[in-house]
Amino acid sequence: MIVDLAHHLYLLIAVLGLALPVSYGGQPVLCQGAFLAVGSFGVVHLERAGLPLAAAAFASAVFAAFAGYLVGLLTARLRGAAVALSTWAFAWLVYALLRAFPALSGGSQGLVRPSPARLHSQIFDVTITLTPLVHVAVAGSVCLLSLAAVARLNRGPAGLDWAALREAPALATSLGVPVLHRRAALFATAAAIAAVSGAGITVLLGVAAPSDVSPLLSLQLFVAVLIGGVARLWGPVLGLLVIAVIPPLADALASTVGLPSERSGGVLTALALVAVPFLRGPIERLAGRWPERAERPREPAELSGESARAASREGVMLAAQGLDVAIGETHILTGVDLEVRAGEVHALIGPNGSGKTTALRALAGALQPTGGRILVEGTDVTGAGQLDMVRRGVTRTFQHTVGLERLCPYRQVLLGVRGGTPVPFAAVRHLLGSVSVRDHAAAADREAWRALRLTELAERAFDRPRELGAGEQRLLQVARAVATGARVLLLDEPAVGMTGPERATLSRVLRRLAEGGTAILLVEHDLALVHGVADRITVLERGRVLAGGSPESVAADPAVRRVYLGDVDLSSASG
Amino acid sequence: MSGGVALQAFLSGLALGAAYGLIAMGFSLVYRLTRVIAFAHGDLVIGGVFIGVLMVLGSTPVAAALDVAPSVGLAVLVIAAGAALSAGVYLIAVRPFLPAAGHQSNRGDVLGWVAGGLAAGLLVREVLGLVLTQDAYAVPDPLRLGRLTPSGVLQLPGGGTVAVRALGVIGIGLAVGILVERLLVVTRTGTAMKAVSEDPTAAALLGLPVRRLVLIAFVVAGALGGLAGLLISPDRSLGVDDGVILGLKAIAAALLGGLGSVRGALAGGLALGVIESFIVASSVLGPRYADVVPLAILLIVLALGRQGLRLRLREDPE
Repeated sequence: MIVDLAHHLYLLIAVLGLALPVSYGGQPVLCQGAFLAVGSFGVVHLERAGLPLAAAAFASAVFAAFAGYLVGLLTARLRGAAVALSTWAFAWLVYALLRAFPALSGGSQGLVRPSPARLHSQIFDVTITLTPLVHVAVAGSVCLLSLAAVARLNRGPAGLDWAALREAPALATSLGVPVLHRRAALFATAAAIAAVSGAGITVLLGVAAPSDVSPLLSLQLFVAVLIGGVARLWGPVLGLLVIAVIPPLADALASTVGLPSERSGGVLTALALVAVPFLRGPIERLAGRWPERAERPREPAELSGESARAASREGVMLAAQGLDVAIGETHILTGVDLEVRAGEVHALIGPNGSGKTTALRALAGALQPTGGRILVEGTDVTGAGQLDMVRRGVTRTFQHTVGLERLCPYRQVLLGVRGGTPVPFAAVRHLLGSVSVRDHAAAADREAWRALRLTELAERAFDRPRELGAGEQRLLQVARAVATGARVLLLDEPAVGMTGPERATLSRVLRRLAEGGTAILLVEHDLALVHGVADRITVLERGRVLAGGSPESVAADPAVRRVYLGDVDLSSASG
Repeated sequence: MSGGVALQAFLSGLALGAAYGLIAMGFSLVYRLTRVIAFAHGDLVIGGVFIGVLMVLGSTPVAAALDVAPSVGLAVLVIAAGAALSAGVYLIAVRPFLPAAGHQSNRGDVLGWVAGGLAAGLLVREVLGLVLTQDAYAVPDPLRLGRLTPSGVLQLPGGGTVAVRALGVIGIGLAVGILVERLLVVTRTGTAMKAVSEDPTAAALLGLPVRRLVLIAFVVAGALGGLAGLLISPDRSLGVDDGVILGLKAIAAALLGGLGSVRGALAGGLALGVIESFIVASSVLGPRYADVVPLAILLIVLALGRQGLRLRLREDPE
């Protein structure tokens, strides 16, 4: 009985670990059992090699973390379904390895180790016999510790990153969050925790057998997380119930009908697995959208000389020289030259399909050019990725509104701040409550409010995103990009869906940003807005620069008028 | 390894690969139309075989020599059972989670059909496992190809031998595979399926019966799987739990052939079969790597293959 309880608590540890990539990272991971196996067999082998128990468990966890990081990196680019497929294949790969190499796994009998184990500390000269009751205490406290740690992490910078990972990975990348590494890190943490759980179970039962860590276990743990995933706090308890209820129920079923009990356990798991997608919706509706419980820092008093980053008022911030972009055989851009200066709004206009968005993506590092150079403040950065460009102060927004439904504008902007100026090991330092983290948090808070004020969103800082108007949502995109500390903003049609007054606000915001020294490249269809706000205009047509210069000279250019405007007088288009 | 042994390994690899190819073709067909990864596909193959055997023998399988009538019955039943299981999995575990109009999986409830497919496969394994309690069974051979020569084997140049059955399996597998591939190209149904695979919304707007076409694809996939099960199962002892790895190998084959191409899936299956056969024959690796290497290939191709974005296995960067 107590052994069962300890066993379930150890499995709960694995469930809590798996919740990191699944519930927080948003990836369907089906190989937690494989990492459990690393802990199970690792601890036996390392103990046989002469390591003390604690060291063996720790070493297995470290090894599992490395393996998890690797698998996480391999799967990080994949879509959800392909992640499920590859992790499922990995679970079977590890199982196949265990079955193919009896030297590793002890064959179907498994590897036996003496039980109950004793822990002996030479320093304190204490010996503890690991009775089942001690196991319950150990497993229980590890569970509570993990719960507390995850809750704390989720309130801090890591929670912001996770929300972005699972809801809008492309947006997260554009704001400087290293999505692939964050996913792999979640994977690695889950794997290490699983290894601890596996080591505990092996010590408890005194045996590590392949059949105990079969892919079926991976599925059961996944089901437990999914059922638990609908609610953050009492979810794990539900998950534990699933783990704890299936075996006795299967035994009962087996004894009444006279069937093998492992098989009926599998059937019950399958039923639970089917039930999850059907139950998720209703349960979530029943529980309601639980409001985010983040603290609401008060808006600090306005500081004088607020522009935190004094940018040089002149000079070319971002330049493209002879930029070629091709996708497959199709040439999208051919020899595009472009210069965006500090303190200037540079509009990029052109008919649909002329390559404006492609140019923006190439400049932001989201698309590798096939020819030409990209310079940031005179430094050649051709070939740099999006994250690198954000670090260099070049941030872009998307044409469509990308939502982070659950995060209030303040937190969304904070995400940009953290992405733009990353603090090394911010999550770990937050977890340990280091003093330096508080300074960083205060600085981030100031930066977030600066971005919100610049975009006139400070009053909506704690509203729900869906309560914001369409125009305010667009402004919020700009605010997030500003918050990364960008000195060059690449804005893709920020005025889409805006009403007249909102457009006026946007013009005001853009002018204000430019006066603060920011260089802005603005892709926009609304010529009235462009005419009112731009210092310089470049016209693209079929991937080539058709004309460029001041708004007046471009408006007067006969080629532009013919190709782009028909015969409309640009200056009369306002209104 | 000597030339004779290599030739022997190559031929038995082609036989194995023909079966993999048939399973992979069904997987690719389904994937093309729906972008659904058929997690239960391998279990359907094994499920079809055991259901057919149980129905014909009326008891747990033994490697009985069958007369003509039961042989034909077994072959038909296995293929029908595969098709029926596949249709059942689609209707119960996949279709509820696909979006109504567009009918490709990217917009639907991905977690739903992933969980549905996994659960369906698990159910097939465990329900069959309630009846079939041994680890593995010998399954009777309805094709009776071994009786064509007295010994059932042919001498190969170089000293190896190959079972006549293996040659028959290669012939049947390739013939059916190429026939189905041609049918998908020349028939109206095949053309309609191509339309659905390229743009399901437009196909639906043009009045194509998208749901029926998808159902047909699942039925064809199941039947191909059943046939593949017939071809390979008599060569080995077959366990209820073998389905998952068989399915994963078929997915690896489909990926090797450029996922989504039915022709490529057959070629990928042949390649994987030959690879596996050489692994088994090799003195360095040996049979213990027969499952390990294909699974590793699957993982590597999934993670690093160039086809990722085009085939919607990778996330859009936008």
